[in-house]
Amino acid sequence: MSEINTELTPRPSKKETSERPLVATVHSEFRFDWLLLAATICLMIIGILSIVSARIGAETDLSWYRSYGFRQGVWYLLGSAMAAGICVLDYKIFCRFSLLAYWVAIAMLVLVLIPHVGSLRFGARRWFDLGLFQFQPSEFAKLAYIFAMAHFLERPKDELRMYNVFLKALGMMALPFLLVLAEPDLGSSLAFVSIGLVMMYMAGVPLRYMKRVAGAGFLLVTLLFVDVVFAPDGWRLPLEDYQRRRLLVYFNQSYVSQDTPPEERKRLEQMQRTDSYNIDQALISVGSGGFKGKGWMQGTQTSLGFLPRPVSHNDFIFSVIAEEGGFLGSTLVVGLYGMIFFAGIRTASQARERLGRLLAVGVVALLFTHVMINIGMNIRLIPVTGIPLPLLSYGGSSVICTLLALGILQNVYLYRKKY
Amino acid sequence: MLVLDQLSRGDKQIRNFSIMILSGLLLLVAVLWHLQIFSSGKYVQRLESQAYRTVREPAVRGSIFDKNGTVLASSRPAYSISLYVKDLSKAGLFNEEYKRLKKMPEYNKLTVSERSRVARFNVASNTIAELSRIVGVNLIIDEERFNRHYLQTRALPLHVMRDVSSEVLARFMESPVRPVGLGIETEAFRQYPLNSVGGHLLGFLVRRQIEEEDIPYSYQMPDYVGRVGVEGVFDKELRGLPGAKSVLVDNTGYRQEENRLIIPVAGQNVYLTIDAQVQKVAERALSEAKADVKGAVVVLDVTNGDILALASAPSYDPNFFIPQITSANWAIYNDENTMPTLCRASYGAYAPGSIFKIVVGLAALESGLDPDKTLYCEGAYQLGRRRIDDTAPAGDYNFRRAFLRSSNAYFISVGLESGVNSLMEMGAKFFLGQKTGIPTMQEVSGFYPNSGFLEARRKRGMPWTSGNTANLCIGQGDITVTPLQMAVMTAAIANGGTIYWPRLVMRLESWDPLNKLPGEVYPSGKVRGNLQVSARNLKLIQDAMLADVEDREGTGSRARINEMRVCGKTGTAEVKQGNRLVRKDTWFVAYAPYESPRYAISVLVESGASGGLTCAPIARKVFQELALIESNQRKAQS
Repeated sequence: MSEINTELTPRPSKKETSERPLVATVHSEFRFDWLLLAATICLMIIGILSIVSARIGAETDLSWYRSYGFRQGVWYLLGSAMAAGICVLDYKIFCRFSLLAYWVAIAMLVLVLIPHVGSLRFGARRWFDLGLFQFQPSEFAKLAYIFAMAHFLERPKDELRMYNVFLKALGMMALPFLLVLAEPDLGSSLAFVSIGLVMMYMAGVPLRYMKRVAGAGFLLVTLLFVDVVFAPDGWRLPLEDYQRRRLLVYFNQSYVSQDTPPEERKRLEQMQRTDSYNIDQALISVGSGGFKGKGWMQGTQTSLGFLPRPVSHNDFIFSVIAEEGGFLGSTLVVGLYGMIFFAGIRTASQARERLGRLLAVGVVALLFTHVMINIGMNIRLIPVTGIPLPLLSYGGSSVICTLLALGILQNVYLYRKKY
Repeated sequence: MLVLDQLSRGDKQIRNFSIMILSGLLLLVAVLWHLQIFSSGKYVQRLESQAYRTVREPAVRGSIFDKNGTVLASSRPAYSISLYVKDLSKAGLFNEEYKRLKKMPEYNKLTVSERSRVARFNVASNTIAELSRIVGVNLIIDEERFNRHYLQTRALPLHVMRDVSSEVLARFMESPVRPVGLGIETEAFRQYPLNSVGGHLLGFLVRRQIEEEDIPYSYQMPDYVGRVGVEGVFDKELRGLPGAKSVLVDNTGYRQEENRLIIPVAGQNVYLTIDAQVQKVAERALSEAKADVKGAVVVLDVTNGDILALASAPSYDPNFFIPQITSANWAIYNDENTMPTLCRASYGAYAPGSIFKIVVGLAALESGLDPDKTLYCEGAYQLGRRRIDDTAPAGDYNFRRAFLRSSNAYFISVGLESGVNSLMEMGAKFFLGQKTGIPTMQEVSGFYPNSGFLEARRKRGMPWTSGNTANLCIGQGDITVTPLQMAVMTAAIANGGTIYWPRLVMRLESWDPLNKLPGEVYPSGKVRGNLQVSARNLKLIQDAMLADVEDREGTGSRARINEMRVCGKTGTAEVKQGNRLVRKDTWFVAYAPYESPRYAISVLVESGASGGLTCAPIARKVFQELALIESNQRKAQS
C-alpha cells in the first residue's frame, strides 16, 4: 500500500521532466488537445454517415430536416457548443456545484421512475418526454456523478484509507446505481459501478477495500448466472423477466425446460426466436461485413430491415458500421475510441491536481464502459443491454453528454500543469 | 507515442488503467477479427439464406410446325391478374383491418398472430371482391391457398385469375379505380391453334413435378412437360433450359429486387412432315364416317415414307390440358370405351382382314402361282370339319377376279398351297409384327407369326395347323397390325417394293441465338428394307388393286375420284371373343395415282359396315384433298 500512496500525488518523474520542456513549449501556445479533437470529429463524421445509412429504408419520405442524420448533426453542434462553453471556465469552478448537481441528478432519477412523469418505452421508464425530444436523466446523472465522485475523492489520501470514507464513496455509487437499475437499465447502472471503482482506485482507495467490492460483485454475477441458467423455478431471484431472457439468450440457453407443457413450449420457443433475433441479425451484419465491408449505404441487413429498424440507428449502430465498413471500418472505430481514451489518460497524468486527474479518469471510464458494453453486445461478447455507443448512436442525451464529457477532458487538459 | 507513453509511465495507477483499457480494446479487435475475417463466410451464408430466394424460371417452349410452316403448337403470352400482398401491407390495409378487428368482441379471444391472419385474409378477400365487381366475374379466394401463399411464397405474386380473356383484361385496365395490390403478370401458355387437329401426334403437356434438380430453388414457376406424342418424345429439346433468378427479400419476406442468375434458353422448334391441311381433311372425313366413330387414317408419301397425316378418332384437344385439365374432361378423355387419348393409328392393333390378301397374294405369286389359272370356288371354304364363309359368290376365279371380289376360298387355297413359311417370309419383308419407330410414345408392334412362334406352339403341344394358316390367309387369327403398318405396306406395293421408315419429324431447329444445341435433321427416305419381289408380280397386285376400285365388280369403287387413278383393297375383320362375334373392323388401304404413285392411305374404322362402304369414302375425300393441293401447287408454279 505504501507504494501506491507515494505515487498518489502526481509528480513529474525524472524522465518526464527531461522531455517536457520541449513539448511544453509547443503546448504552451497550443494548449488544446488537438488529438482528442481530431478523434472526436472523425467519430462524428462516421456517426452521421452511419445514421444516414442505417435509416435508408426507414425514412424514404421524410423531409431532409426531419431525417435522423440531420438531427444528429444538430445534436453534435449543440453538444460541441456546450463543450466549448465548458472549456471557458476552469473545471475547479464547476466542481463547486458538484454536490448540487449530484442531488439534482438523483432527484431526476427518482422522478423518472414515477408513472406519468417518466415515459414508458420498451417496458422501461428512462425518459422524460419533453415533446420536442426525449431527455434521459441517467446520462446527465453520469456526468454529475463523475464530478461528485471526483470532488469527494479529492480529499487527502490518508482520509481515503478510513473505512467510513470508503463506505460513503460506495454509497454515492450505490444510490444512482440502484435508481437506474430500477428503471430498469442494467447497462447504464453498471456504468456507475465501473466509473466509481475506477475513480476510487485512481484516487488511492486501499486495494483491499476494492478487492472486497470486486469479490462481492463477482459473487453476485456468478450467483446471477447460476440462478438464471441452473436454478429451479422456486429458487429464482426476482429478476425482470426480460432480463432473465436476455441472459438466457446470451448464454445460449433454451427458454424451454424439460417439464414445460407443450403449448407453453411452443410459445416460449417462438419468444426465444424473437428475443435472440436482434443479436442474431447483429452478428450476421458484423460477420458478413468481412474484411473490407460492403461499402457505405450498401449494407443489406439494414436496408432490408433484417437488423430491426428501431435499433439499427442507436444501440446497434456498430453493426451497421461493421457491415458496411468491414473489419477495417470497425477497427478504425475502435482505434478512434482508443485515441480518445489514451488522450484522456494522458490528460489525467498531466492534470494539475488530483481533482483534474480524477475527472479525466472518470470521463475515460465512462466512455470506455459504454464502448465496451455497446460493442460487446453487438458482437455477442456481453448480453444485450440498451446502452448507447458514445457519439455514434443516435440520440440527443447521449451525444450531448458525451460531448460534455469530452469538453471536461479538454478543460482538464487546458488547465493542466504548467511546466 | 500516445499509447506507449501511458503504458510506460511511472505512475502505477495510470499504467494499470492504461493496460486495462488497452486489453479491453484488443479484446474487441480480436473478437471482430474472429467474426469478420475468421468466420465471415458463415455469416455471409446466413445472410444469403435469409435474404435471397431463388426462382426457377422455365424457358419458352419451342413451337411445332407442319411441313409448310403452319403452327401446330406454340407459346402465347397469357395474362394473369395477380395479387401483390406486399402492396396491401405497404398501404397499411392489414394494420387498419387488424385494429378494426381488435375492437370487435368476437375476435378478442384470438391471439395476435391469429388475428393478424384473419385481418390479412379479410383484406385480400375484400380486394378480390372489388376485382370481381370490376371485371364482372364472380371470384372467390381460398383461405387456405392465401395463407399458404403468405407463408411460403410471399415474394411472388399470387395468381387470382389466370389466362384472362381480353375482355376481362380490358375491363381491368380501363377501370377508373383499381384496388391496391392488383397487377398484371404475363406467362407463356402453350396453345394449339388448330385445336384437336393432330392432337394425337402432338400429345399433351402436364404440370411438371418437383424433381431433384429443383432442390436449390426456393420457388418454382409453373412449368410443363410433354406426356406423349411429339411433345413427349422431344420434350427435352422443346423445353430448352430453364433460367434462374434470385429475388432479394426483406425481413418481412417481400420482394425487393430481382436478378437474373441464368437466362432461360428457349427450346428448339420441331418441324413435322405432316401437312396440316391433309391432316384436317383426314380427321374430318374420319369423324364423318359414322356416329361416334372409332378409327384411324394414315396418309404416307410413298416416295419417301413421310407421314402426311395420322388421324385417330375420337380425338382430343391438347388445349384442354392447359393450364390444367378439368376433372370432367379428364373423365371423358379416359373413358374406357372410347379412349380418346389412344392413338389408334399406331397404338391400336387390329386384325387386317382382307387387306392382308395383298401380302398373301404376293407370297403366292412369288411361290409360283399362275395368276391366270382359274379355280372354282363354291362360296365357302371347307377345311376339314370347319367351313369358312365367303362373301364372294360361287364361281370361277382367277387371281385378279379373286382379289377384287375378295374371295376367301381362293386365297385360302393358294395360301395353303404356298405354305405358312412363305407367308411368314413375306410378312417379315413387310416388317409386320415390328414397330415402325414413330416418335409419339404410342406405338405397338402388332403380331405376326414367325418360326420361333411356331416352334413355341409346337413345344406347348399346340402345333400350328393348316387351319391357322387358312385364318392367316384371310387376315384373321394370329395376326394384328396397326393402320400405320398397313400404310407402310401399301406404300411399298405402290413404290415398287421399298419399305421406308415412316418419318414424322423433319428437323429440330432453334430460333434462340442462345440455344447452343445443334439442330437436328432427320433425312427423308430412310430405307428400311426391300421386298425383292419380281416386278411382274408387283404389277399384278397393283393392277388388281386398281381393278378393286375401278372395276364394276370391285369392292373399293367408292374411293374413285376423277383427278387420279386410285388403287385400293377393302377389308373386314371379325373380332371374336371366344366364338362370339364382338364387332367387325373395316379397312381400306389405297394408293394413288396408279401411274406414278405418290400417296398411300390406310383407313380403319371399328365396327364399320364394310371396308368399301365405310372406309373407301374416307380415302376418297383425302385423295380429293391431295389432288386439290397438287393442282393448287401447279397453279402457283405456273
